Amino acid sequence: MRFDLSILLPHLGFLAQGALLTAEACALALIGSVIMGAFVAIARTSSSSVLRRISFVYVDIFRNVPFIVQLFFFYYGLPEIGIYIDAFTTGVVALSIAGGAYASDVIRAGIMAIDPGIIEAAEVSGLSRRVVFTKIVLPIALRTSVRPLGSVLINMVLTSSILSTITLNELTGSAQIVVSQTYRPFEVYIVLLVVYAVLTYLVSLGIALLHRRLNRDMMEAVA
Amino acid sequence: MRFSDFTPFDIWLLLQGLGVSLGLFFSTSLIGLLIGTLWAVCRFYRVPVLTPVITFFAELLKNSPVLVQLFLVFFGLPGLFHIRITPTTAAMITLSANSAAFVYVIAVSAIESIGRDQIEAARVFGLTRWQVLRHVVAPQAMAFAIGPLTALLVNQLQVTSLISVIGVVDLTKIGNILNLRTLKPFIVWTVVGLLYYVCAKLLAWLGARFENRLRAHAAWRGL
Repeated sequence: MRFDLSILLPHLGFLAQGALLTAEACALALIGSVIMGAFVAIARTSSSSVLRRISFVYVDIFRNVPFIVQLFFFYYGLPEIGIYIDAFTTGVVALSIAGGAYASDVIRAGIMAIDPGIIEAAEVSGLSRRVVFTKIVLPIALRTSVRPLGSVLINMVLTSSILSTITLNELTGSAQIVVSQTYRPFEVYIVLLVVYAVLTYLVSLGIALLHRRLNRDMMEAVA
Repeated sequence: MRFSDFTPFDIWLLLQGLGVSLGLFFSTSLIGLLIGTLWAVCRFYRVPVLTPVITFFAELLKNSPVLVQLFLVFFGLPGLFHIRITPTTAAMITLSANSAAFVYVIAVSAIESIGRDQIEAARVFGLTRWQVLRHVVAPQAMAFAIGPLTALLVNQLQVTSLISVIGVVDLTKIGNILNLRTLKPFIVWTVVGLLYYVCAKLLAWLGARFENRLRAHAAWRGL
């Protein structure tokens, strides 16, 4: 039994590249899932029962089917219908759609939490429904859901490790390559574990800061 | 000879995979439930050195991808200690520890949800710490925890799909095999996803029923 972390030193640059790819994928997927989640949340809080039902089915399916199955569905399925995109794009699309299901729940909760008086006041002032939604409802809902959206992001960072199964060399994928070069799986994976934990911890710190900054004018009411 | 089309035997294959998935899911959930509760009890008794160690370990498990944990156990432990670990054993260890970490958090918050005054009152009546735990804390904490526990179990069922990556022939692995043989990704992954979906829904339904029963004592009966 030998435990020697120094064998990792020559590979740190390679691992950093992988971490960068993870960060890119997560950042793109976060944007994708917030947009997706916002639209689905609009549909789920709309007055049309058809829209509500469709959006509920979407959320229900993508929350109850394992992500790896969804990923394989897209990765192997899309070329079948003539859409050829690379592993990175497939991964980001799959992450966005799966993350969108979770984000939509968060944003929906944010919308439902808005005081009806605010919306009524806006309607009485003669604002159109579109303006009420984009200028009043959505900003408030997004601001209050920063913290839960942060936990969606953290989950996404952890889930993105699954992208290594579709040949994408993000953090976990590049660690696998390092293992096959050094034959030291324990050292590599324990470092990887700690790196992920630190990464998600930093993300959660950042989210807490952002949350406090965005809600600074209503801190007394929240706290 | 090429078997490129679906055969009736594939149904049996899928059911076998489902059996492996569910078997591992139930056994690891049970072990995780036991260990997680044990950890929470350790915290309740404020065991000196053990409590911070457990908290740190649980945080590490919660904040790192399950895939990396699986790799650490399956590739890392044999590399370090020169022991043999089968994929199934590695899956058992990882999934149990992972569920334990999440159960621990739920159990701790469930115990903390019970007012200090109740525990103090029980102590004043001369109950020992164990009696307080057994007759005052446990029944109420159980009713509090059942909702989050159901959500956790639904999530853990989806996490089991990751063990296919280290070679356990579970439902996802069977899907992979069928996909490679028939080259019909849409049908294969839809069926696999549907099976997971049905199991998740069933689990959620059972959890809701159980919750209703546990909370029946507090339900509003009418006048």
